[in-house]
Amino acid sequence: MERVLRGLAEITLEEVAKTFPDGTEAVSSFDLDIADGSLMVLVGPSGCGKTTLLRMVAGLEDITAGQVRIGGKVVNEIPPKDRDIAMVFQNYALYPHMSVYDNIGYGLKLRKVNKRERDRLIRQAARTLGLGDQLLKKPRALSGGQRQRVAMGRAIVRQPEAFLMDEPLSNLDAKLRVQMRTEISRIQRDVQVTTIYVTHDQTEAMTMGDRVAVMKKGELQQVDAPQSLYEHPENLFVAGFIGSPSMNLVEAALDASDGHLFVEFGGTRLHLGHDVRGRRRGIEGYIGRRIILGIRPEDMEDASMVGAAPIDRRMLVTVDVKEAMGSEIYAHFEVDAPPVLTEDTKELAIDAGEEVLEELEEEAGTNWVARLNPRTRAREGGRVELVVDTQNLHFFDAATGAAIYENAQPETPGRAL
Amino acid sequence: MSVTSADVRARPERARTRRKPSAGGSKKWVAWAFLAPAAVIIGALIIYPTIDTIAQSFQNESRQFVGVDNYKAITESPRILTAIRNTFIWVVVAPALITGFGLIVAVLTERVSYTTAIRVVLFMPIAISGLAAGVLWRLTYEPDPERGALNVVIGSVVNLVGGPGAYPDATVLPEAPVQETSDGALAARSTVRPGESAEIGLVNVLDEEIPAGATQASEPQASGDSIPVVVWRDFKPGGGEPGVIEEGELGLPGAVVELTDASGEVVATQTTGPDGSVSFSGVGDGPFKAQIAASTFSPGFEGIEWLGSSLVTPALILAFFWMSVGFAVVIIGGGLSALPRDVLEAARVDGANEWQTFRLVTVPLMRPVIGVVFVTLTINVLKIFDLVYVLAPGASQDEANVIGVEMFRTAFSERNFGVGAAVAVLLFILVIPIMALNLRNFRRES
Repeated sequence: MERVLRGLAEITLEEVAKTFPDGTEAVSSFDLDIADGSLMVLVGPSGCGKTTLLRMVAGLEDITAGQVRIGGKVVNEIPPKDRDIAMVFQNYALYPHMSVYDNIGYGLKLRKVNKRERDRLIRQAARTLGLGDQLLKKPRALSGGQRQRVAMGRAIVRQPEAFLMDEPLSNLDAKLRVQMRTEISRIQRDVQVTTIYVTHDQTEAMTMGDRVAVMKKGELQQVDAPQSLYEHPENLFVAGFIGSPSMNLVEAALDASDGHLFVEFGGTRLHLGHDVRGRRRGIEGYIGRRIILGIRPEDMEDASMVGAAPIDRRMLVTVDVKEAMGSEIYAHFEVDAPPVLTEDTKELAIDAGEEVLEELEEEAGTNWVARLNPRTRAREGGRVELVVDTQNLHFFDAATGAAIYENAQPETPGRAL
Repeated sequence: MSVTSADVRARPERARTRRKPSAGGSKKWVAWAFLAPAAVIIGALIIYPTIDTIAQSFQNESRQFVGVDNYKAITESPRILTAIRNTFIWVVVAPALITGFGLIVAVLTERVSYTTAIRVVLFMPIAISGLAAGVLWRLTYEPDPERGALNVVIGSVVNLVGGPGAYPDATVLPEAPVQETSDGALAARSTVRPGESAEIGLVNVLDEEIPAGATQASEPQASGDSIPVVVWRDFKPGGGEPGVIEEGELGLPGAVVELTDASGEVVATQTTGPDGSVSFSGVGDGPFKAQIAASTFSPGFEGIEWLGSSLVTPALILAFFWMSVGFAVVIIGGGLSALPRDVLEAARVDGANEWQTFRLVTVPLMRPVIGVVFVTLTINVLKIFDLVYVLAPGASQDEANVIGVEMFRTAFSERNFGVGAAVAVLLFILVIPIMALNLRNFRRES
């Protein structure tokens, strides 16, 4: 597609809030900058307000407070039809009584683009999306993937200032979803239109976004490039939400002896080297206190697979379930320490399903997952020694859930976990 | 998934047990036994009467075959032709009007609060029988502007603009030097010039028509170039002398007095004061004639004959509209709430304004529902009987005639069963294509 010359179309949200008539606060004081031509993913568990936020940008939902600017212009009071945005809906929202051709061309027709130009643009968009042969069909004659493409076509044909996508892939089967994911990324890169992409799927968020904004209960948790989110989550919620399988969490004690720093939980004692302490000076302030320790599944490995694995960074576990993924093996095991129960982890458990939360509250031990080399000899029910890559450990304040990087947070004696 | 050998073995056995109780012929017999009561009722009450009606339409009173004479009679009776014409008007106007209006109201009520309450209120007339509605609308259409609700409303508006005159029934004594002009004004016969005066005495003025502030009339006194005119009640208890202003005869305030020139053009207008006098000056040399304007005698709004022969069919359609619009609103409203919300939102984002969204998305998506409403209304209109029969007064019954009423009148009031049956068959034939359309719609939906 050709890129039409236009002004910068960055989208800025400034202290945007939404309160529904019944008093529910869906979004509270939300700030976000989306650079021109970039793809921003809004991700969070269902009910976190991400769709509401998108609909406010689209103009389908009134803005209770704050400002939304598109291309520098405040659009709070501008109706959707005059915002020059295109939206892709979760259920595609195709016009069932119109052919594919008319579905794609409807926006152009409303904007009084002349017939020849319209025809050219529709055919071009259809070609881009591989819909060339489907133009005369009605939506109900199309497969899910084709409908998805028509919905995309309807958006790109207008060359709007911004694309708003509301979980556009959630109704597709897994294989098609991966395929369309790549395709949407490609199209977005080609046309370079500022895009907000809402999803609850962290994999989509990680793979598609230039930047990802993680939301929880209507509040922004962290905005960053996907890899940064993964490596430097700012709090427990982001740490637990981003990554699949998710980060293993446990409440641990931090203590020092002979100038060495150890983190201890459920019978395991890991030595923290100077490199860790150098990068996370904040943890010095937590010595002798309880903290929350996070370990990514890939930061554990079968000790027998690693040459010269340091002896002071190991944990001995019993494998409950082994999932062979081909290129890797997920080993599920239980750590003999109570699960971390903070507001963040509860929110994550609710997202995974109510039963998970109940389980979490009853459980005495914590279920962990390690991602092991497929050649591991670990068996279900067998014991295996894991070596932990302590360089990539994550630490969180037990009371606030904030990640510990540079500075220690003062102890808050009143708040027990 | 694995299929165990036990599963495989179990299958034919299950099938055998299921077939067991339904042993061949007995099943058919049982089915017919269950169908029999319904079949008898349908046969006796629907199929037989239908066939018999068709047969009768080719027979005379003594049930002898007369060929197509009854149908010929239809084409020769102006009353029946009126019925066919009216039914045609009903079918063309009523369903489209009600469906269109219902669609608009349904869309609008969806945007305000108390949607359900509004729709329930609109729906209520459906619960009223056509007969009761007929009586109700008879009262509404009452021509007397004091009693018929519709005429009361219209009258109060009309009277705001130009109400009745001050003395609607007033007239003059036959011997008075006054004549009525072609437009209803009362003019003095003699002409006046500046310095002269005129007086017009009215009779048949009721005491209650005279405003409380009216005072004794007095002989007009002309002076200089003024033209005084007096309007008074030329009557006092006990009689008095006609044409003379006497003690006890009141001036008539509020009468509109005009001066006309030789060509009949009005050159000046004034309204009389408490003593019934006005005085014109500076109007030129004349000669003039003094007259009381027609508006003084205007009777005001007298009520529209809604059920008179010229308006009766539109009036009936309005009553039917009132009865049926709720049905359209509720059914279409139900369809609207089932519309996919995101499609409408997609249209708004695509750049459609409210009207475009309505016309290009809502209406096409609603087509099946609109079709059902339209067809249902068409059938209701074709068979309409009670409303017309009750609401149209005897005098305009012929003008209001529709096929349903005509069938009843011919067959049962006039005991002319052959022609009545022919009219019924005609109605039947008219309904068939619409029924077919309806069935096709239903089938397409499922």
